[in-house]
Amino acid sequence: MNERTLLRDNVADIAAYFAAGGWRPLKKALSMGRAAVIAEVTASGLRGRGGAGFPTGRKWSFVPQDAQGPRYLVCNADEGEPGAFKDRELLRRNPQAVLEGMAIAGYAIGASLGYIYIRGEFSAEAEFLTAAITAARAKGFLGANILGSGFDFDIHLHRGAGAYICGEETALLSSIEGLRGQPRLKPPFPAVKGLFGAPTVVNNAETLAAVPSILERGAAWYASTGSPDSPGTKLFCVSGAVNRPGVYELPLGVPFRELLETHCGGMKDGRKLKAVLPGGASSPALTAAEAMAVNMDYASLAAAGSMLGSGAVIVIEEGRCMVELLGVLARFYRHESCGQCAPCREGCAWADKLLAGLEAGRGRPSDVETLRSCAAAMTGRTICPLADSLALPALSFISKFRAEFDAHAAGRTCRAAGGGRLA
Amino acid sequence: MPRLTIDGRPVEVKEGATILEAAGLLGITIPRFCHHPALPPAGSCRMCVVEIEGSPKLATSCSTPAAEGMKVSTSSPAVKAARRDVLEFLLLNHPLDCPICDQAGECSLQDYYMEHSCAKSRFPAELKEPRQKRRLIGPHLVLDNERCVLCTRCVRFCDEVTRTSELFVSGRSDASFIDIREGKALDNGYSLNLADICPVGALTSREFRFRQRAWFLEKTPVTCLGCATGCRAEAHHAGGEIYRMVPAPGAENAWLCDRGRLTYRPLRAGDRLKKGFIKNGYIDLEPAVREAAARLAGEPGAAVLGSPWLSVEDNAALAALARALGTGNYCFSFTAESGIKDGILVNKDPAPNTAGAAEAAPTGGLDLGELNRRIAAGEIKALITEARAAAFIKGRLPDGFKLIVFATNRSEIPAGAYATLPYASYFETPGTFVNYQGRRGVTGPVVPPPEGVPPLAETAAALAAALKGDGA
Ligand SMILES: Cc1cc2nc3c(=O)[nH]c(=O)nc-3n(C[C@H](O)[C@H](O)[C@H](O)COP(=O)(O)O)c2cc1C
Ligand code: SF4
Ligand code: SF4
Repeated sequence: MNERTLLRDNVADIAAYFAAGGWRPLKKALSMGRAAVIAEVTASGLRGRGGAGFPTGRKWSFVPQDAQGPRYLVCNADEGEPGAFKDRELLRRNPQAVLEGMAIAGYAIGASLGYIYIRGEFSAEAEFLTAAITAARAKGFLGANILGSGFDFDIHLHRGAGAYICGEETALLSSIEGLRGQPRLKPPFPAVKGLFGAPTVVNNAETLAAVPSILERGAAWYASTGSPDSPGTKLFCVSGAVNRPGVYELPLGVPFRELLETHCGGMKDGRKLKAVLPGGASSPALTAAEAMAVNMDYASLAAAGSMLGSGAVIVIEEGRCMVELLGVLARFYRHESCGQCAPCREGCAWADKLLAGLEAGRGRPSDVETLRSCAAAMTGRTICPLADSLALPALSFISKFRAEFDAHAAGRTCRAAGGGRLA
Repeated sequence: MPRLTIDGRPVEVKEGATILEAAGLLGITIPRFCHHPALPPAGSCRMCVVEIEGSPKLATSCSTPAAEGMKVSTSSPAVKAARRDVLEFLLLNHPLDCPICDQAGECSLQDYYMEHSCAKSRFPAELKEPRQKRRLIGPHLVLDNERCVLCTRCVRFCDEVTRTSELFVSGRSDASFIDIREGKALDNGYSLNLADICPVGALTSREFRFRQRAWFLEKTPVTCLGCATGCRAEAHHAGGEIYRMVPAPGAENAWLCDRGRLTYRPLRAGDRLKKGFIKNGYIDLEPAVREAAARLAGEPGAAVLGSPWLSVEDNAALAALARALGTGNYCFSFTAESGIKDGILVNKDPAPNTAGAAEAAPTGGLDLGELNRRIAAGEIKALITEARAAAFIKGRLPDGFKLIVFATNRSEIPAGAYATLPYASYFETPGTFVNYQGRRGVTGPVVPPPEGVPPLAETAAALAAALKGDGA
């Protein structure tokens, strides 16, 4: 099956979405009962598309059934990672699926209020989404007593203020609460103690958009797409030196080779592939050979030493300097670290300074080992995975492209001529 | 009650106890910066990590509950490496100005570096981020952001304990720094606790800074006499001088209020009384005692008023004086509303011994109302008490009334006092106090009194002897 269920054409408008069968899955869900909805989503094998790949049905089931008081559903549309631009596309092309997915998820976990946390820079999308919410409300798909079922569910749109870290789910919750956007210590997990202290589920916009079709056509149908550990389709946003960069909805497990050659039209101007960051700016790099042999799903990418992450695929061509590229990542993560964990706060900055020195020809021979040990000291040692997001790429860059780093440190020149910036 | 092993030693802990607490029971101190037992966990410094068998990542012992069957190592190679790494990270931007830092000798960063690292710096000094030094942030504190390790203990204290939230982390990433909200001063009545809990020399006390090195200080347990709560404290002193007061280690009061902490200050103040004081002039203690005895013996209806600011022993000495005078005009019973008034430590009753004073004269005597009535009616024409207790006498003193007080400092002397006798404070002489819950505590001595200043009981006994001498 190569059907697109997320990036469908001509469904941006609520009437068109409804005409294409939209908002019926919610009605079906309401007639099934909560437990059955969670069971269906669990059986579909849907995994979170925000980066961690956590099974969605299981996440919903963690909300204590007997908890008193409110619960919340949060849609994470903060999309701030370099190379990721899939949620934005989704919100533009299929906003009603996100809203319907939220309503179904809200019903499943017993929430009557949902929040969409949208990246601050997405102002056009925020306006568009506001209109989409208003339209759904007008049709009675959101609000009180939805479709006469007795289920109330409404959605607030909350705009971020520009911090990448607020995409991390607990930082996001603090940000909605008006607090400093920094990740919270877990446990307690949001499902137990989340927004305003109440049980909360945070799901990525893409994850939620997949839910209506699962309800509509069943778990077995959904699981028939993709690979066994990674069912369904995924939005891949491909950037870098390819002929047709962009967002592609493809079954999980698609070979990278197919993604590159068939869908993206191959490398731009006949350039040679050098490396790939297959899961965005936080994923370890694959060499060209590794990438050409890998399938794009959770298990295959993990086995290859990287990860699917958010599905942002950054393609790097021969001639691109890996030291410079890592410097771009370090600058980004240094700027975005919330600063609470000593290894992240100090480590990202140290890595950035080391890389700036290497790039500028001010490096010392020992700098490469210093950088490697700095990255190793950041790995798995922090509250949230932001430190890993720099450390893991850094370790992979250094181990796979060591010669470039050593050349910078010793010869003070960039062997991989070409320069330029990360697209 | 989970049972686990830490470094191979079994331990059983209460449900919900953390690994750090469990280790503490075994006498294993896990190094930490952000953890403080009386504050909610932050889990951010990553210094307290331990290895749990079967768990791929190191865990923060400050925030991970001890669980049944856990096998924890606090000294595995991975743990040791992680500590070294944290220390290296924290020292990257540190100014390394230990020789001029007041925290030296009691600095966690310094101590842990010696214990867990001793590695050479790999970071060029010219790449250090400049930060603000020596910023006055309140009447009692100086902030040095260069030395701050961003443990946020200070922020959490102001958020959770005093709930005044003056401090916050400004900026983010390595540009983060501790800042104070615009227009606020850090003056919440408990601010000096921050100098204690700051693990490094970033927050230092203006009272203590540069006056004494930590390693020269001796530590003596005392009871804080700042109010009826009677917090357990520790006086730090050297060479006969007290330099600071801190909460006693392990005391149920994790904190001390600023006022209580500074109760030692009058000891060395310029107005400290070392002699007697009659009308407007100093006079040696011995003639002062003779004069006071003469007045008490000479005036009809001389009275003795105890004091809730004095120890059980000194009140007893005043009661003995009343017996020597042969008067029924005495009062040792005080009533005061008591209880914690700010939700933290400070008591509604400002006096430390309201409960204990009554022990001096369990029966007989007058209540305060009757004492005041007799003074107003002219039936009592002389009275001896302690300076602050004189405030229990209401209204203007009748002409010719002879008020005799014990005081430690001239500023305490009430208006209209005829004679004042000095006495040794409870930092200088032992005393028993009974707090608002009935808990007895003996305090002092920490330092010697000024030369020639005896404890109050001694002077009261001399007065009693002088009275007998007159009578004989
Ligand atoms: C630094 C950081 C940034 C993140 N940014 C995003 C984001 O922009 N959007 C998103 O959906 N998830 C983001 N995540 C992942 C979220 O924490 C969370 O795992 C996700 O929203 C859960 O949804 P899912 O289960 O549907 O994937 C981020 C995580 C980290 C550590
Ligand atoms: S890892 Fe970095 S971004 Fe994440 S909580 Fe720690 S300091 Fe903040
Ligand atoms: S000033 Fe002291 S207590 Fe406050 S964050 Fe810095 S090191 Fe911690």
